[in-house]
Amino acid sequence: MGGALTRYRVIAWIVGVALVVLVLIGMPLKYLFDSPTVVAVVGTAHGWLYMLYLAATFDLSRRVNWPLQRMLLVMLAGTVPFVSFYAERRVSRWLTAGRQPRTPEPVAG
Amino acid sequence: MTPNPPHYDTVSETPRPPGTLDAMKRLWTPAWIARHVAMVVLVVGFLGLGWWQVTRAAGGNALSYGYAIEWPVFAGFVVFVWWREVRHTLRKGSPEPPATPAPPAAAGSAPPTRTPGVRRPVRVTRRPAAAGADDGDLADYNRYLSWLNANPGARPGDYPG
Repeated sequence: MGGALTRYRVIAWIVGVALVVLVLIGMPLKYLFDSPTVVAVVGTAHGWLYMLYLAATFDLSRRVNWPLQRMLLVMLAGTVPFVSFYAERRVSRWLTAGRQPRTPEPVAG
Repeated sequence: MTPNPPHYDTVSETPRPPGTLDAMKRLWTPAWIARHVAMVVLVVGFLGLGWWQVTRAAGGNALSYGYAIEWPVFAGFVVFVWWREVRHTLRKGSPEPPATPAPPAAAGSAPPTRTPGVRRPVRVTRRPAAAGADDGDLADYNRYLSWLNANPGARPGDYPG
């Protein structure tokens, strides 16, 4: 679970930053100052990165047995600027709070 | 391997596959109908958006080529998640596989009705671990092995740890 959570957090952060850059910098530049370069670059990158985000979220939810609804909500949260950061914090707290201490247990044989 | 008791019953542990009608009923509850509808709406919507981007790309918007690929991928992802949920529901309803697999040696008297699947051999170290050795990685691996042993038929990717 640890690796999947780390992957999710990394890609969620990247996608969140890309989305904020796209909305707060790219959109004003394109529609107010007629300079579409930022949108062309960051927009395309964000589309592909969001696919990685979906894959990472799916992988994580499968490992921790989330219900379908929670998985879809976390996936949708990645499409809203700034909410993705909140969702990432929330998911991390969910998954690390209930973590049991790793006690070794001997295997029979 | 521990020796198998002579009264080991293999027939009662052979799970019966669920009937098709039963499976259909389980996928026809209100919640599931909503999921089917949502899947169809999303797939049609995403494909429509993809087609819209194709027309925009044909109109000279080079950026739309990328989006024209991405929307069908999202549609495929929706179908994938839907199909996985269907499989999950069908598997949950079927009887649990036996915790201890039926050994082929015990089935000498009565022929088994189902060929047990070939699984990887479980390797157990002969050398006992040093007492007090607190090897976290080894303990993790042992827990993983015992989980695999307790869940026959599970794939390594299903390991929740």
